[in-house]
Amino acid sequence: MRSIAQVLIVGTVCLFSTQALAQGTPGQTRTPDASAQQLRRDLEIMKEQMRQMQEKIQQQEEAIEKLSTPAAPPVPTPTPVPAPPTTRDREQLKQEVREEVIRDIQPQLSAATKTFPSQFNPAIGLSIDNIFAYRQHEGNNFEFRSAELGLSASVDPFVRGYAFFNGTSDDFEVEEAAIVTTSLPFNLAVKGGRFFADFGRLARFHDHDLPFVNRPVSVDRFVGGESQANGFEVSYLLPIEHYVTLTAGMYNKIGAENDRVSNEVPRDLGEFTYLGRVATFISLSDAHSIDLGASYAYTPQVASEEKAHRYLAGLDLTYRYVPLSQAAYRGLVWGTEVFFNRENRPVGGFPTGPTIPSPVVFERNNAWGLYTYLEGRLSRRFYTGFLFDYAQALDADVGDTKTYSPYLTFWPSDFQRLRLQYTYLTQPGTEQQPAYANQVFLQWTIVLGSHAHSFRDR
Amino acid sequence: MKRIVFVLLSVVLMLLASHVGVDAKIRVVATIPDLADMAKNIGGDLLEIKSLATGVENIHAVPMKPSFAMLLNRADVVVLMGLEAEHAFLPALLEAARNPKVLQGAPGYIDCSVYVTPLEVPTRIDRALGDVHPMGNPHFNLDPVSGKAIARAIADGLARNYPQHEAVFKKNLAAYLATLDAAITRWQHEAAPLRGVKLVSYHPDMLYFAQRFGMEPVGTIEIRPGVDPTPGHIVELEERMRREGVKLVVRELHYPANLAQTVAQRTGAKLVELPVMVGGVPEARDYVSFIDYNIRTMLKAVQGG
Repeated sequence: MRSIAQVLIVGTVCLFSTQALAQGTPGQTRTPDASAQQLRRDLEIMKEQMRQMQEKIQQQEEAIEKLSTPAAPPVPTPTPVPAPPTTRDREQLKQEVREEVIRDIQPQLSAATKTFPSQFNPAIGLSIDNIFAYRQHEGNNFEFRSAELGLSASVDPFVRGYAFFNGTSDDFEVEEAAIVTTSLPFNLAVKGGRFFADFGRLARFHDHDLPFVNRPVSVDRFVGGESQANGFEVSYLLPIEHYVTLTAGMYNKIGAENDRVSNEVPRDLGEFTYLGRVATFISLSDAHSIDLGASYAYTPQVASEEKAHRYLAGLDLTYRYVPLSQAAYRGLVWGTEVFFNRENRPVGGFPTGPTIPSPVVFERNNAWGLYTYLEGRLSRRFYTGFLFDYAQALDADVGDTKTYSPYLTFWPSDFQRLRLQYTYLTQPGTEQQPAYANQVFLQWTIVLGSHAHSFRDR
Repeated sequence: MKRIVFVLLSVVLMLLASHVGVDAKIRVVATIPDLADMAKNIGGDLLEIKSLATGVENIHAVPMKPSFAMLLNRADVVVLMGLEAEHAFLPALLEAARNPKVLQGAPGYIDCSVYVTPLEVPTRIDRALGDVHPMGNPHFNLDPVSGKAIARAIADGLARNYPQHEAVFKKNLAAYLATLDAAITRWQHEAAPLRGVKLVSYHPDMLYFAQRFGMEPVGTIEIRPGVDPTPGHIVELEERMRREGVKLVVRELHYPANLAQTVAQRTGAKLVELPVMVGGVPEARDYVSFIDYNIRTMLKAVQGG
């Protein structure tokens, strides 16, 4: 062993010494005489260049002189009148002047067009969302809702990537991290990774981008909060004059808070969720328009529900009035979504106690819900609106939940928002849960850094 | 079953055929009517031109309609102002349009600011300064000499994409520049009474126009670009206007009338209401009549007509 180490050390030393010799060679052979000769050669070359430049300048001066002389000076003896400048002369002069100017400003141009490795960093934005909440029967609380860091950039000529990292008071998660194609033929686009699935409208909004303080109960109950999904999606923009998109997707599940399915456990093909969506836009006039969409999510086998199938259908409609000349001051939005859900549910709910009754009895249950809101833009900075929300329980024989929420939003600038909302909530009353509650929220949200106006959040 | 397969195949073939249409015209989408008008002058019958904005909008608040994404989806080139003038709607629409030909950096993306020397390039990029444009003030279409630079950029952009028509574009550009040159000489003569006149505008839209005709912009009603004024700012602005003898308050037509009117009344200045794009008023039918309208309206206010 020792002899091998010795051989290795000797070999390494030899290699280093060879390299050092190789690097040192030119320095050792260069003598002061050689340097002087080199300098003399450089000087000669510079002298030659100077001479050529002087000649060129002289030629240019002569050409300018010739062209700028309008007529021959009056002299007693007849001299030949200089020919008027031809177009070719003028063009040549222009070209020479242009080149001269460019040579003069080239150092500044080079300085201005310098690039730095950090220029390839993605666009970075951070949103901070805070709430002060009063909930009857519960009390008051300052709630730090989220600090969400967003990154986005092109990856190469074919795809771009984006990610949102969300930190809350008790959790940190990758909310979205997705790759999207940018140059597929035939109007196709493919998205993969973790992202908000193309189901409905408000389920695709981040919490702080919602038009009101809280996500409607109907969206939370049926979609499972944001439509977060691990999977992939293909969408197709129909090549017709009218705007129509078709989307097909395959995911582990849809819904950030959907706990029927785990993202961690591998599954059969029948246990994925499959989505289809069609969306269109109808322009009624320059100022009035309607966005219309229909979504359908199908899970052939839900493992936690006796491997029975589940489907969730949604219909969304958004009417907008945006007067063109006053788009920053006036406007009206009416947004509505209806959901219909059908799945197997355990009678009496999922067991939670230490002793789980066996077997759990399931029954097929339908449920539906909707939200509808009307929001008016009163000025550049003030919006007011009213939200009504209705959601049946997913389980049979449990009452419905309704909320009524007027709200007022104030934007001091495009990057800061204050919102005051009152909510009257009615829900199935139990020992732990009162049948109604008055709630007041004050929300303060800001955005730092890059803030792209997204097509998705229209 | 055979019938279903036949119908499906027909639909697929129709959709594919629509992608490879044989429309001979070059489909141009301009973001604002000024650019559409210039493109029409340069490309003539070779082009089929659509404008996203109609001219009455605030260029920073053009609604992001999916129908615009369809226009961009079918476009051969997109002609835009640049300097991030269209930041509120164009990047997202281009993303939704799925047309690699017109994405930023592609040959079909014709940025009209390339020959313009921008004014108000910020030395500090900070949102405390408002909704600043990092590359400089983007409202250069109000200056007719910058208009010439826009026309040149359009001609170069079209020639880059369609070199077979370069001679036509060059010829039409030369004719259009000659028209603009003649108009500029006339405007500079007519606008002589505007020289030295101080003005306040709602948003920094008038900077290039003011510089061209020797006017002096003193401030804006907005406290910062894109940020509504506070009462304190209005008091300060009015004091400054009185101190410096500001004679004009310019309200760009998409900004509210009341405040501009109040500021003008309180300071004894005249209120001038101006469009900022072709199509902003019925008289501004094309680029030349748009600049004509703005100069005439300004002169009327200054000369008390």
